[in-house]
Amino acid sequence: MTVSTLRWIRRLDGGDLPSRHLVGGKAWSIAHIQSLGLSVPPAFVITTEAHAAFVAAGGFPDGLEDELAQSLAWLECSTGRRFGQGPKPLLVSVRSGAVVSMPGMMDTVLNLGINDGTEAALARECADAGFARDTHRRFLQLYADIVLKAPSPDTTHEETPAHRRQAIRDATGHELPQDAMVQLRGAIGAVFESWNSRRAKRYRQHHDIPHSLGTSVTIQAMVFGNLDECSGTGVLFSRNPLTGDKQPLGEYLRRAQGEDVVSGQFTPEPLSLMASSVPEAHEKLLAAAGVLEYAAKEVQDIEFTVERGRLFLLQARGAKLAPPAAVRTAVDMVHEGLIDEASALLRIAPDRIRVLLAPCLHVSVAACASEVARGEGACPGVGVGVVVTDADDAERRASGGEKVILARPTTSPNDLHGMIAAVAVITEQGGITSHSAVVSRALGIPCVVGCGAGSLLGLAGKTLTVDGQAGRIFEGALEVVRPDERSDDALVALTRWAEARSPLRVLRPADAPGDGVVDLDQVDGATDPARLGSILLRLRPARGARGGAIASDEGVRAAIAAGLDFIIADPVLPPLLAAVQVGAAKTSPTVQKGLA
Amino acid sequence: MKSEQYLVLHGLAIKKYASADAVAGIMGLDPEHVASVLREATARGRVLEANGKYSLTPTTRIALASDYSRHCADLRESRPFAKAYEEFERVNSTLKVLITHWQTVDIAGSAITNDHADTAYDSRIIDRLGDLHERADRILAEFARHLPRLQIYRDKLSTALERAEDGALEWVSDAKIESYHTLWFELHEDLLCMLGRTRVE
Repeated sequence: MTVSTLRWIRRLDGGDLPSRHLVGGKAWSIAHIQSLGLSVPPAFVITTEAHAAFVAAGGFPDGLEDELAQSLAWLECSTGRRFGQGPKPLLVSVRSGAVVSMPGMMDTVLNLGINDGTEAALARECADAGFARDTHRRFLQLYADIVLKAPSPDTTHEETPAHRRQAIRDATGHELPQDAMVQLRGAIGAVFESWNSRRAKRYRQHHDIPHSLGTSVTIQAMVFGNLDECSGTGVLFSRNPLTGDKQPLGEYLRRAQGEDVVSGQFTPEPLSLMASSVPEAHEKLLAAAGVLEYAAKEVQDIEFTVERGRLFLLQARGAKLAPPAAVRTAVDMVHEGLIDEASALLRIAPDRIRVLLAPCLHVSVAACASEVARGEGACPGVGVGVVVTDADDAERRASGGEKVILARPTTSPNDLHGMIAAVAVITEQGGITSHSAVVSRALGIPCVVGCGAGSLLGLAGKTLTVDGQAGRIFEGALEVVRPDERSDDALVALTRWAEARSPLRVLRPADAPGDGVVDLDQVDGATDPARLGSILLRLRPARGARGGAIASDEGVRAAIAAGLDFIIADPVLPPLLAAVQVGAAKTSPTVQKGLA
Repeated sequence: MKSEQYLVLHGLAIKKYASADAVAGIMGLDPEHVASVLREATARGRVLEANGKYSLTPTTRIALASDYSRHCADLRESRPFAKAYEEFERVNSTLKVLITHWQTVDIAGSAITNDHADTAYDSRIIDRLGDLHERADRILAEFARHLPRLQIYRDKLSTALERAEDGALEWVSDAKIESYHTLWFELHEDLLCMLGRTRVE
């Protein structure tokens, strides 16, 4: 039987790029990677039309069962493995995939096809019984959680798959199937049904997405990064996501599965070791990073596995970038001709520039300062003040105009009012997920946690400087510097491009005319961005405005709406970017990045 | 301490520094009643008032803590409640990690503040919060079965989640409103007080 006779299933075999509506976002990106000539684990997709038929029929539509068997046979043939059988068992992942991703849809089930028999086969194949057992356990956990909706177990004790199956039976009254085909049908049904989960339905209603759109199900062969010394798994960034440096940055773990890299249980090796252990795959990986980046015009974050020396790309997406990297890569890509100036300006949210230009300690100052304590940096920023050890004290003294640092063994909700009043929060115990860390970040207050029992309370009354980025606490009030936007080439380039396109001029105080300007620092309520619109309409400045919240994103929007010629601000780049993005959003409602 | 007074003071112990309305809201009490109890307690020096917000005096805090064993004797005896509480603690660890991922993004091993410019990343976290809520909801229902007033947390948590799902991001973890994290934390505090346990960081 040939591919063309398939009605409900599309094979992702590198042929024509399928319609996104038919196969959903995830399968489409697999097909897209293939269309660039890159290698992904073989996969097929049950289409959104099959889902519609499933809904109409209340079960698998006629013919789907046959097509599923044929497509599995095709996967078996492409991988040289057998589904549900040894000696080389085929395991698959099952994913939901609507055209737009939405909450409440079924998560990915990995390692489907494993059971007592295939666990034993896998143990022999990779000569690693521990891995096979772990794979089995992970599958039972995911399947129970996602497909059977079993309550999460207390997994503090090691248990055998038989015990786990019994526990799931006790909790749900359902059997977790041994038969791989039954597992697969269960997972497919769960994807289809998750379309009508409470959250998915609410999301579609809220975003005007038709309920008839439907989801697809992608079924992809699992590849193994732990078969031999020529196997492994890793991640690669096409450029350095912290600095923006053009050199790709990656990590590789020999003889490991994807979850191992994420779990943090193992220390990955630098990419140079991959180059010596699997040189051909390494070379292909770097080439693939270039191809994917060129196609997407964005820095790529790539997950990959090497199976017996052969490279497979598991996922490629736009990388999350630290603020310096976001700026540098946008400017570099313009210079390289990958994107134009206008797109570079739309990529960078004004807040990222504000973060870059936020006050910080100069490296040379920190180097010769005396450090009194050190912990984990939980919220970046610098705070200088007097140490108090009680939240009520902190609040009282702060309301008297003093700058205070709240030092506590740990914080609890008892201390919230003191944290709000403080310029920095420091604690003796707790890590980056502790109450102090979570609340400081929510408040945007510099915070260092876990400085050690007994390290802080003795500092009461002293003036200190807290560096929430580095996690360091110094004696005395250190000099805080504001980075200059004019001393960085990339920021200078962005400023020049933005000035050429901005619907609003942004002038530095030194360049500003004196007449026709309203000083919002003299106007009540003008520090509240939300009130600026009505204030500007009332005052109707002849030409421009300064002070208040005029340099904030909302301020810029209000200034443009009020038809101002210019605003006065320092630094100029954040409001300039905001102005460009407001302008672009007006002409094209699809601008999503940044301010839209 | 009389039981109606106890609930008001307990509510204030959870809210720490709050208006009468906020205490009434979380405890499911009549705001007028809460206001009058708090006014009387202020007059008797058991509660402090500043800018329309109340807080317990240190002495009252201690007195209240020693009173929990009497008011919550049944709850402390209940095996099913203890079991639900243990499950809550497990979900709590997951929530703390989730909120950390909401606030900071891991970029090549460095924790960078999430500036919420990447809507796809935020949506994935809110989706995970929804998953967590579905797990938690079973536990919250069990709590409410034993102590009906705890249903308020269940309702408010679900409201906060839905607001976040609809795009109002502050409802995930903003410390100044009854965001998902604020409510979760208050519920945790409520349970710790009643069961006479202490928080583990």
